[in-house]
Amino acid sequence: MNPAVHGVGTSHFGRRPGTDLVSLAWDAVSDALADAGGGPVDAVWVGTVFAPAGVAQRVLRAMGITGIPVVTVENACASGTTAFAEACEAVRTGRYGRVLALGIEQMSAAFDGAITPERTDPEGATGLALPALYAMAATRYLHDGAVTREQLAAVAVKNHAHALHNPQAQYAGRYTVEEVLASRMIADPLTLLQCCPTSDGAAAAVVAASSGGVREVGVRGIALRSGAPWGRRSPHVWGHDVVRDTAADAYAAAGLHAATDVDVAEVHDAFTIGEIVTTEALGLAAPGEGGKAAGTGVTTLGGTHPVNPSGGLLSRGHPLGATGLAQVAEIVRQLRGDAGGRQVDGARIGLVETMGGGVSALDGNACVVAVLEAP
Amino acid sequence: MTVADPRPRIASGPGGSGVVAGVRCQACAEPVAYAWPACPACGGPIAPAEFGPGGVVWSATVVRIPVAGRTPPYALAYVDLDDGPRVLAHVPGGAAPAVGTRVRLRADAPGGDPQVEVAP
Ligand SMILES: [Zn+2]
Repeated sequence: MNPAVHGVGTSHFGRRPGTDLVSLAWDAVSDALADAGGGPVDAVWVGTVFAPAGVAQRVLRAMGITGIPVVTVENACASGTTAFAEACEAVRTGRYGRVLALGIEQMSAAFDGAITPERTDPEGATGLALPALYAMAATRYLHDGAVTREQLAAVAVKNHAHALHNPQAQYAGRYTVEEVLASRMIADPLTLLQCCPTSDGAAAAVVAASSGGVREVGVRGIALRSGAPWGRRSPHVWGHDVVRDTAADAYAAAGLHAATDVDVAEVHDAFTIGEIVTTEALGLAAPGEGGKAAGTGVTTLGGTHPVNPSGGLLSRGHPLGATGLAQVAEIVRQLRGDAGGRQVDGARIGLVETMGGGVSALDGNACVVAVLEAP
Repeated sequence: MTVADPRPRIASGPGGSGVVAGVRCQACAEPVAYAWPACPACGGPIAPAEFGPGGVVWSATVVRIPVAGRTPPYALAYVDLDDGPRVLAHVPGGAAPAVGTRVRLRADAPGGDPQVEVAP
């Protein structure tokens, strides 16, 4: 059975302390089910990272989704896309007919500011906050002449401007490169506007067999990997190889000949350097050319390879478990031609990539890459 | 709630320096900074091995946001130990050393953190 996305839904993203997670989840699930034409689902996969135990059943019972298989998955920032990948696989193999994939996260209930480094992990216990991990990649890229500070900032300028057209984004704005570089330093060389905000939110997708419907977005290929050991064995910065290898799996599954066949992409830009490394790892930009692609408008709406038209994690927001399904929702809307002021004209092939990490010595905890196709 | 300290164990090395007491894979020679039961690269058998004290900065940064139990700003570096693994270490002084700088592990590991200083 070829899986297709029949419906998507997203809550507004933002800091919503004191809001019941049930209401965030309801915003996403009710929209996704209505978009899919209503009706029951046979199983649910839920992606979340920091939510309390039992959260999936707690939110689903409040909307009458009970008595069916419910599975909660955690794969860091790729938790939502992991739930989506499992839903697609369940449909493809015929295990279930109609599956809900839901991502939920309330970061404001878990942390006062940035994510606390995990103290049971060697590098977390040594004080490696997540911005510092990405800062290490940025420092290395700058040293190697693979990016400039202005190109890093250009990613933030672009994604915050894209989000002006996304009413569900956490925040947006027309910033200049100078303003991005002048914002408060978080971990050298990454400044505040180059880091994703702390976010709450939910996103959902209904997956079922393709039946040729005019609003169904086909899942041409999807792949999931955990990172291999990373260190001096790799010539690349952290987070590159796992994306490259997962993308190769997804492209093969999709029968995609070249990454440049992709018309629109939503990729993991928790920090500006992440989008640059990722566009190179995905093959959307040549090695060492990701920064230039951002700086010259290639990856801007209207450019030849638009990346993160929703505003990305940087501007739409990054409620970890919800992020992957928000990316899926954006690509589905793009491929249906429903993306309004941020529509990529004539988009036929869309790509979703999420990468999550933090476990020492690995090149990321997990990566998911999906290739979706217009109805 | 007590948790086991997961950080690399620092033993004393030559001339008052420190070395990482880790393991090396007996099948693929992968150097590992931690006393794990098997090789993370191939699953092969391991044997104890010491790495350092010398190494080269692969990359570095200064953390300027509040982190639980830490006082910002503080400098961190990924250091490629000579013939050894890449390890995360603190750098005293609050400034990030340049990529490629020769550094040396200190034996004292203040607060349990691996720490490097610019090689004399
Ligand atoms: Zn080995």
